[in-house]
Amino acid sequence: MPANGTAIGMADGGIRAASSEDAPVGGAVDVAATAPDGTSRAASAGLLDLMVWLSPAFPVGGFTYSHGLEWAIEDGSVATAADLEAWLADVLRHGAGRNDAILFAAAWRAAAGSDVATLAEIVELAAALQPTRERRLEASQQGAAFVKAVTDAWPHDAMAALVATLQARFGTVPWTYAVAVATASAAHGIALSDALPATLQAFAANVISAGVRAIPLGQTDGLRILRRLGPVIAEVAVEGLAAGLDDLGGAAVRADIASMKHETQYTRLFRS
Amino acid sequence: MLATDAILDRTTAGPGGAVSGRAAGSAAGTLTGAGAAAPVVLERARGRAEIAFKLSAGATRVDRLFQEGQAKIRLPRGEPGDPPTAVVINTAGGVTGGDRLDIAASWGPGTAATVTGQAAERIYRSSGGAGTIHNRLSVGAGATAEWLPQETILFDRSRLARRLEVDLAADARCLIVESVFFGRGAMGERVTDGALSDHWRLRRDGRLVLAESFRAGGDTTALFAGRATGAGAIAFATLLYAAPDADRHLDRLRGLVDDDAREPTVEAGTSAFDGFLVARLLSPSPQALRRDLVRILEAFRGRPMPRPWSC
Repeated sequence: MPANGTAIGMADGGIRAASSEDAPVGGAVDVAATAPDGTSRAASAGLLDLMVWLSPAFPVGGFTYSHGLEWAIEDGSVATAADLEAWLADVLRHGAGRNDAILFAAAWRAAAGSDVATLAEIVELAAALQPTRERRLEASQQGAAFVKAVTDAWPHDAMAALVATLQARFGTVPWTYAVAVATASAAHGIALSDALPATLQAFAANVISAGVRAIPLGQTDGLRILRRLGPVIAEVAVEGLAAGLDDLGGAAVRADIASMKHETQYTRLFRS
Repeated sequence: MLATDAILDRTTAGPGGAVSGRAAGSAAGTLTGAGAAAPVVLERARGRAEIAFKLSAGATRVDRLFQEGQAKIRLPRGEPGDPPTAVVINTAGGVTGGDRLDIAASWGPGTAATVTGQAAERIYRSSGGAGTIHNRLSVGAGATAEWLPQETILFDRSRLARRLEVDLAADARCLIVESVFFGRGAMGERVTDGALSDHWRLRRDGRLVLAESFRAGGDTTALFAGRATGAGAIAFATLLYAAPDADRHLDRLRGLVDDDAREPTVEAGTSAFDGFLVARLLSPSPQALRRDLVRILEAFRGRPMPRPWSC
């Protein structure tokens, strides 16, 4: 999968957290084991988990959402590969991408520090920030499906404890996708500096995949867009690591309007 | 304009001596349309105003009114039978770096009232730091609140950090509209350097249920050129209606937004979820956006806009 291959490359490429507090807390794996070539077994295991979780085959139904892109295609705003790249760059920099990066980093740190009160606030805020009916659906259905799949197939004490505490607080936890991945990554000891850009890239790959099917574009066009957006993803990830919740906010107003208009779009392939 | 002048005069004559020079500068800026170039005034404006409504003998009355500094609240006599309208006035005539305005309004159980603004809020060039506006609304059980400020106009090199905190009872109704113009469009102004952060946080029964965060910085003309941002728009508005049955009004609002009478340059969408109705509008023309917003709001509310909107 292109998303995962590049995710590892990017982690090597130096998106590093600013402080040691962003190092993984250590999950069930043996943190101390380091191979002669410097690869730690814990880090490798975490990356392998992350690759599965962010794979398009992971059962969160990502392929059914376009994040409003389907309307932008209908409307003529996105008609070519260059249009799709520009649209998605704006969404990453000024829309859900940047907000998710900030929420992801905050949720990861709260979960890694077992600060459930803060994590609960972030869970609630991330859900409240979804601006339209279909964007709420997109974020919440994928978030809930992600938590279910990870807790079902990767039983883990730290994650189970976080989920149980949140359930006791909310009843039904209003998970959103980015916060769900952040929480599981922290609980499983996967570094924030790996998990955040990889999650952003999985989001980008998913929107590109929707574009490739709906415009339509060739598979190679889609891959080129994903490669060219690498620096944007890296930049947004770095901003997410440095920013706090007061820095949330965006200006992707037409992306929001596209999502609203998608609700009444006559012919639809996607749920958002 | 006349009303604003009268208020500036009154403020000048009042105890807030430091206000006079600033108010005069702002007024001059408004008259000549050169607001962005108004001289930098170093005094920091502070204003705090609070109003509370209560139900008394079946009618909504003012329970409490507090004002200090550059924030005032006036209660013009309305039509008999209409809910009261409170008009918030920034006597400083605008906001610049370091200014701070705090406005709070609370609607007691069963009350109905509208809060609006005397004029557009102009955000002038900042010599450093952001101006801060903090608005708090509290809407009690069965109350019907309208928060209908006029547009916020950001001039080049302005900085504004605004928060809107709303506490809703489970069955409260609340209509909120905010519009933001990056310059005035027709006068050829370009906001090549500006900063706005506008955070809305709405709680229902104490639980955060809707958060809106609008954030624009740097060359906003370039920022809003993108097709996912503004496609060349400089004027933006969000209309929000909170009510237990908000979803039921979606078709009506959608019909108004998509009506044949709409402004051709305005693009808009609507959505409904979790007891909220949301519409977003944008346009390259602030004037067109304002006309469309007034058309939609008057039809949606079934009432003309509060009087300051047409002064």
